[in-house]
Amino acid sequence: MNRRSFVSGALAALTAGSLGGCRGKQYAKVMHEGEPGMVGSHQAGGETFKPLIDEAVAKLLGRQAEDRNVGPEGLPPPPRRICFVAVENKSSEELGDFKDQIYEQIDAKILESQMFQPVSKRFVDAGLMQTRLRPDMLMVPDNMRMFAATMEQQGQPFDYLLYATITSGTTRENKDYQRDYLLTLDLVNVHTGQYDKQAANLSKGYYHSRIGRLRSMNPLHQ
Amino acid sequence: MNACIHARSAGRPAAAIVGVAICCTLLAGCATHERRLLAIRDGFYAGDLPQASTELDEGLKRKSRDSEVLLLERSIVQLAEGDAQGAERTLRYVRDRFDYLEQASLGESALAMLTDDTRKAYAGEDYEKVLIRAMLSISSLLGDGQDAAAYALQVADKQNQIVMAAAKDAGEDGKNPKLAYKRVALGPYLHGLIREQTHANYDDAARDNAMVVSWLPGFPYGRQDLERAQHGRHSAPGNGVLYVFAFVGRGPYKEETLELPTTVSLLVADRILSAAGNYSVPPTIAPVKVPRMVVPPNEVARLQVSVDGRAAGATETITDVGRMAVEQHEANYPRIIAEAVARRVIKKGVVLGAKEALGANEATLASLALNVAGIAWEATEAADTRCWGLLPDKIQVLRIELPAGEHQIGVAPVAQYGAVGAQRRQSVAILDGRNTYLLANFPDARLVGILSTNQP
Repeated sequence: MNRRSFVSGALAALTAGSLGGCRGKQYAKVMHEGEPGMVGSHQAGGETFKPLIDEAVAKLLGRQAEDRNVGPEGLPPPPRRICFVAVENKSSEELGDFKDQIYEQIDAKILESQMFQPVSKRFVDAGLMQTRLRPDMLMVPDNMRMFAATMEQQGQPFDYLLYATITSGTTRENKDYQRDYLLTLDLVNVHTGQYDKQAANLSKGYYHSRIGRLRSMNPLHQ
Repeated sequence: MNACIHARSAGRPAAAIVGVAICCTLLAGCATHERRLLAIRDGFYAGDLPQASTELDEGLKRKSRDSEVLLLERSIVQLAEGDAQGAERTLRYVRDRFDYLEQASLGESALAMLTDDTRKAYAGEDYEKVLIRAMLSISSLLGDGQDAAAYALQVADKQNQIVMAAAKDAGEDGKNPKLAYKRVALGPYLHGLIREQTHANYDDAARDNAMVVSWLPGFPYGRQDLERAQHGRHSAPGNGVLYVFAFVGRGPYKEETLELPTTVSLLVADRILSAAGNYSVPPTIAPVKVPRMVVPPNEVARLQVSVDGRAAGATETITDVGRMAVEQHEANYPRIIAEAVARRVIKKGVVLGAKEALGANEATLASLALNVAGIAWEATEAADTRCWGLLPDKIQVLRIELPAGEHQIGVAPVAQYGAVGAQRRQSVAILDGRNTYLLANFPDARLVGILSTNQP
């Protein structure tokens, strides 16, 4: 090897080795209403859960409101109290920091309805801790009575128990896959045992490459 | 013509020698972190926390490229002193700095090619980046606990980021070298215990404990934790839970070693160099200085925990820091050697370039001087031995359900053959339906610092 090629090679390698770029700072911006949000590339995010919550809560509360919009002596009925017990994740993805936010969003929407009044989560947690009952054990009649009595002692009687459950189903097509997310709200009247249910679903495609995504948009693609 | 070149270059040798000598002086590698760390480790392991703090303060005064890693050492000293909130602040700062520093820097990379890796800001080893989040979670649990769950989630998140970012470093076989990294079960373990304490999120706890069982099948408490999260309850009415976190043994550190490049590393070095031109690595190359991960032998196997004088169980390993550090270092070792080889070749290239520019042939004094300067330049190179040196060898845990109220908790280090150190006691108040946390730091047979809890 001659010296010139050695030197030029070495200098080129030095340049290449150092072309890592510069350290950049991280930036952020406030997302305004109506602005398209980010879409989770590997799992569900706000783009999935927000519409699911909006749809499921609105339909469930709307139907309940229809059933009881006539109060005694023409007065609007007093708001019914809902004890929102838990969000259960039975999907194949971990919810990470989303779970508490899903709870809070559903809770806030129930409060906004003005026809229903949620019991504060702090009281719900305290009741569960005091009775040492798991949320999934409350459907056993004795457990439900014990829990209701504890909540009454705390000055927080309730008429309904509410559960939110997230499930998912995955369909694979080679390296791409479609995941169907289902948010189910189960509402149980603790006085009558009557039960209502509302589900909302959303499907999302995850693509291994941009080509896969473009292919999915082709109307001829089956 | 040749005579003319010699005549023109006759006045240059002195300038060239001075130039290369200046290079040697300015671009020489730094003293190894290993030496600086030694004094800190000595103070810490002797139980002399003020001495360790003084050494750290001295090191931090210099505002060197070691600052972040020294702050990591400080966080362990703070935890041992019982200053969990201080440790959390320190760790949070280093976490954010590492996130910034792990981006490539043009200037630093160029300088490192002419000197050594100690010229680069230290962005942490992969296991350190993950353990910072785990330590943050433990610090938070021992403090106000507000952000403990978030930090615990960040443990798995960071691991995913590290593995995904390494996809571009896939070898000839197309395999991501970091896919083989063992997952740190401490993250889901911490998240699980936090979620279980809510009494409303057993599904999260079950999911987390399932991860622990899957990632660490040998963890003896994993199955019962999973079973409890799936079908049981946090604790019986009137009871609370004590979690004992134990930092056991002396953790890994790096030392400098001379290594003959392997075939694999020469191949990688060749890829680095030939990426920019038609240059290739010479068939043989002298040994290069590289860091080697060392895990000192540790006597303490676990901590025996007693409650009010009665044996209550022993801590078990949830994260084997030493093994993880060694395995990750081995996975990256060919790359580390390859970079050292590439650096060596570039240095030789620069010296040859200087000779070429001067027209100095092998017989001249200038050539001899440049050779000497080149050798000195290579000799000043130092391996990058920066690492989080006060980490324990193992992080262990024990969960004990206890009646609410005040209890005397005793912890004693035990080896495989029996007790090796005196028992240390701490009074702890257990709250009904709540978790209480206790941290013990046993790098050797004696406790360093205090037994700290999340109670004032």
